[in-house]
Amino acid sequence: MDELAAVEIIERKKVHPKHRLPRGHVTIFPNWCKGCGLCVEFCPTGVLKQGADGRVIVAHPEKCTACRWCELHCPDFAIFVTDVEPEEVVQ
Amino acid sequence: MRRQRRESRVHERYLRHSKKFPNIWCAGCGIGIVLGAIIRAVDGLQLDKDDVAMISGIGCTGRMPVYVDFNTMHTTHGRALAFATGLKMVRPEMKVIVVMGDGDALAIGGNHFIHAARRNIGLTAIVVNNLTYGMTGGQYSPTTPIGALATTAPYGHIEQPFPIAELAVAAGAAFVARSTVYHVRELEKYIARAINVEGFAVVEAVSYCHTTLGRLNRWGTAPEMMRRLKENSVTLKQAESMSEEEKRGKIVRGIFVEQEIPEYTRLYDRIIERAQQRTSLQVETA
Repeated sequence: MDELAAVEIIERKKVHPKHRLPRGHVTIFPNWCKGCGLCVEFCPTGVLKQGADGRVIVAHPEKCTACRWCELHCPDFAIFVTDVEPEEVVQ
Repeated sequence: MRRQRRESRVHERYLRHSKKFPNIWCAGCGIGIVLGAIIRAVDGLQLDKDDVAMISGIGCTGRMPVYVDFNTMHTTHGRALAFATGLKMVRPEMKVIVVMGDGDALAIGGNHFIHAARRNIGLTAIVVNNLTYGMTGGQYSPTTPIGALATTAPYGHIEQPFPIAELAVAAGAAFVARSTVYHVRELEKYIARAINVEGFAVVEAVSYCHTTLGRLNRWGTAPEMMRRLKENSVTLKQAESMSEEEKRGKIVRGIFVEQEIPEYTRLYDRIIERAQQRTSLQVETA
C-alpha cells in the first residue's frame, strides 16, 4: 500500500529513482527491544515511534532512507533494515 | 550504477542463540553497540570464528564474550590481558580480542595494561570507557571526569582522569585509536585495523552510563548522553587547530599512533630457535 503511494510520488513528481522512498524496509524484533529510544531519537526522517509499552514500532515505513542508523546503533540487535530495490517499488 | 547491497543481520551468525536474550545490559547501554561493531569488524575481515578468541574480565563489559560464538574466556577482574597473553603465547596465529571496561583495564588491571603495551604482544585490547563502575552502582573509576558526582564521591570527584589512548601511546603500543559509540562506523573501522595490526593494539570506545553516573549527575537519558558524545567530540585534525582551553572536556577521536615494532611472540619464537640450535650443538659435541 505504501509502496503504491511511493510509485504515485515517483510518477507525479518524476522523482529520480535514487531519491525515491522508501529505500529501506525496517524490521523490529519486539522480544529483544528494551525501548531505550535511541533509534526513535536519532532517526533522521522519523520512521520510528515508541509504542504504548515503550517498545519501538514502525510508524512511517514510507519515509525510510535506509541509512541504517538504527541497525548500527541498536545495543540489543533488535532492529534491521533491508534495501528496497527500485524495481520492487515500481512493480 | 546501483549501490552495492549491504548485508543486514550479520550478527545473527555470530551470536550464541542458546544464551538468554535480550542481553543483560541496561536499555540503551553503549556496550551492546561496541559488541555489534566488533562482530561487523570480524565479519568484514572474513575471519573464521575458530580463529578468533574473545577474552574479558569482570564488569558490565565482562559480559560481552558470553553472547558471541568465538572462543571465549570470562576471567577474573583485571586479569583479562594476563590470560590473553598466555593464550597468545600458546596460539600465536590466533586473533585475540580482549574487551575490558575502564576500571577493569586501568585500575585493577592497570599494570597488565601498560606492560602488555610495553611488551608489544599481539593482542587487540578494546577498552569500553563508560567513565564509572556501572555494575557495582556508580563508584568513581580512573576515568571519571573531575567534578562529577559518584556514589563514592558525593561532593564531587577531585582526581584527574586517565586519558586511555594517550597512556597507551606513552606505554609503547603499536596501534592506538579512540572513537565513540555514536561514531560506530568509525569505531568498526578502527577495530578492524586493530585486529590486523601486528603488535599490541588499543581501541578506546568512549561510551556512557546513564543508569548510575548519568543519573547522579543529571546528564539525562541514553539518547541525551548519546547526543553529548556527538556534540563533545572532535577529530584529531580539528583538535590540532584548537587551543588547550577549547579542548577541555572534548573527546578527541582518531588514530593516535600506528607503528611497526617487533611483536613479542615473533621474538619469542626466535629465542626458541636459538636455544634449540645451541642445545643441538652441545649434543653433537658431546
